[in-house]
Amino acid sequence: MTTVASSRGGRGDLALIVSEIGYEQRSFWRNPFAAAFSVGFSVVFLLLLGLSGNSGHIDFLGNVRTVQYYVPGFVAYGIMATCFNVLAITIVSRREMGLLKRLRLSPLPAGIYLAALLANAFIVCVLQVAVLLLIGRIAYDVALPSDLVALVVAVLIGVVTFTALGIAASTLIPNQEAAGPILSIIFFVLLYLSGLWFPLKSDSALARISAWFPVRHFMSATFAPYDPRPGTNPFAWHDLLVLGLWCAAAIAIALRRFRWEPRRT
Amino acid sequence: MVREPHAGQKGETVGVAAIVVEDLHKCYDSIVALRGVSFEVADGEVFALLGPNGAGKTTTIEILEGLRARDSGRVEILGFDPADRTTSRMMRERLGIVLQECAVEPFLTVREVLARHAAFYPTPIPVDQVIAAVGLTEKADARVKSLSGGQQRRLDVGLGIVGRPDVIFLDEPTTGFDPAARRDAWELVRALRSHGATVLLTTHYMDEAEALADRLAIIADGAIVAEGTPASLGQRDVGSVRIRFGLPDGLAIADLPIAAVTVDGYVEIETTDEVGVLHRLTGWALSSGHKLPGLTVERASLEDVYLRLTRSAVLR
Repeated sequence: MTTVASSRGGRGDLALIVSEIGYEQRSFWRNPFAAAFSVGFSVVFLLLLGLSGNSGHIDFLGNVRTVQYYVPGFVAYGIMATCFNVLAITIVSRREMGLLKRLRLSPLPAGIYLAALLANAFIVCVLQVAVLLLIGRIAYDVALPSDLVALVVAVLIGVVTFTALGIAASTLIPNQEAAGPILSIIFFVLLYLSGLWFPLKSDSALARISAWFPVRHFMSATFAPYDPRPGTNPFAWHDLLVLGLWCAAAIAIALRRFRWEPRRT
Repeated sequence: MVREPHAGQKGETVGVAAIVVEDLHKCYDSIVALRGVSFEVADGEVFALLGPNGAGKTTTIEILEGLRARDSGRVEILGFDPADRTTSRMMRERLGIVLQECAVEPFLTVREVLARHAAFYPTPIPVDQVIAAVGLTEKADARVKSLSGGQQRRLDVGLGIVGRPDVIFLDEPTTGFDPAARRDAWELVRALRSHGATVLLTTHYMDEAEALADRLAIIADGAIVAEGTPASLGQRDVGSVRIRFGLPDGLAIADLPIAAVTVDGYVEIETTDEVGVLHRLTGWALSSGHKLPGLTVERASLEDVYLRLTRSAVLR
């Protein structure tokens, strides 16, 4: 983080970052779109799909219980919605409203602002994952995976990758009106292609298409610790590697294209 | 370029300049936006920058704000170069900026937004004091998105002053204000000035510049075309005046003792010798028993000067 000299010294910067995270949290939970689209959707979807598919099994995934497929699936959904979709829309609307420009003109160091923004997304993700795992455990008797570390690693890599993708996407969207529709269409099509609602065989045509995109790889990585098939590595290294590549590309785009000022038309 | 002397403007009488802009040049691709802009704002002064859209006003302000890089020239704000990233935080701790667009986090309350920004500065003004100063006490705990447009602009002004700035940029601060809110904003600018702040103001309203500014400059076509006090700008204090009256009944314009023209049904005389002309005119009217209905004597308004200077710059 780059924090340049301040006449009040560096001691206040830690307090500043904590207070910034506080304001980001208030903004997030008070914004009906942000909270509903990420945390609200993932919880409601998991409850509804869990109820309807509670007794089902998926034969081609080692006869896993359908709810056991949905729990890591909606963990992945919640992280993607928070870090990619909501974050990108938030950045675009703040940029176009001139809010980023105003902050740029204030003494708040850019590094502290961005760190608070990312910390906020991370906190929302952690809370959300905890709630989803708890629902799975209590309502559907889906136990935590025996290799919890594998799930944590997948979640962390997902948070970082989709945060980078969210920032990169925000730089490609010209205005606030376009942000919601464009991102939501891309996101939901990819979710469908990746088998969030209807599990896909890995040799199916849809799976081959979605293998080009990060969504399916992230879902595979969160499912791997829950995969009952013998010999499955709970660390889905191949999927995590693909996520890493997307992450690197997203960071490159974000660094080149990120702007604080509204786009002039 | 017209430059008038101003008490305490330069040299030994008053201390350092808070803002120095010297021979500023800027091109966008092939378009020349600034061709050598220079001005200084003394410590504690209210300085207005006027100019039509596209004249270079916004480019100048954005270079001063550190948002845009200059091609050449010198800029100093409180001794800091806005292009120097290593000192930008220290500069911004002493600089307040009120932007044209309202840009405030919609889901926070008025008090939260101000408290958040106050935390960026070493010696902020207490939040409640700022809320009272911009007239938002009743809305202190309302979310920003529930405020009217005018109230959001006032909050914006509050954000510009919460850091107790030494230098304030006000970019068209009263656009969209109703007349009462406008007067309040003017009072606020005067209050800031009386506390010693230096104010750089851009505005479209001539009356605003006239009411607030100690000095002003007109920018047109990328250069300063006039600079002076509101009273003396463009030599309006020494330039010609316009004498105007209705043609007395039964007379033709040729019957008047002085050469004149008719404009909008009125007789008009432009002269730099208003005392002599009036003397002859009123002497003739008294002795011949004619009335001069609606007689007025007008000096060029700031707006006249502004239009004259900005038009000639465009035609140049």
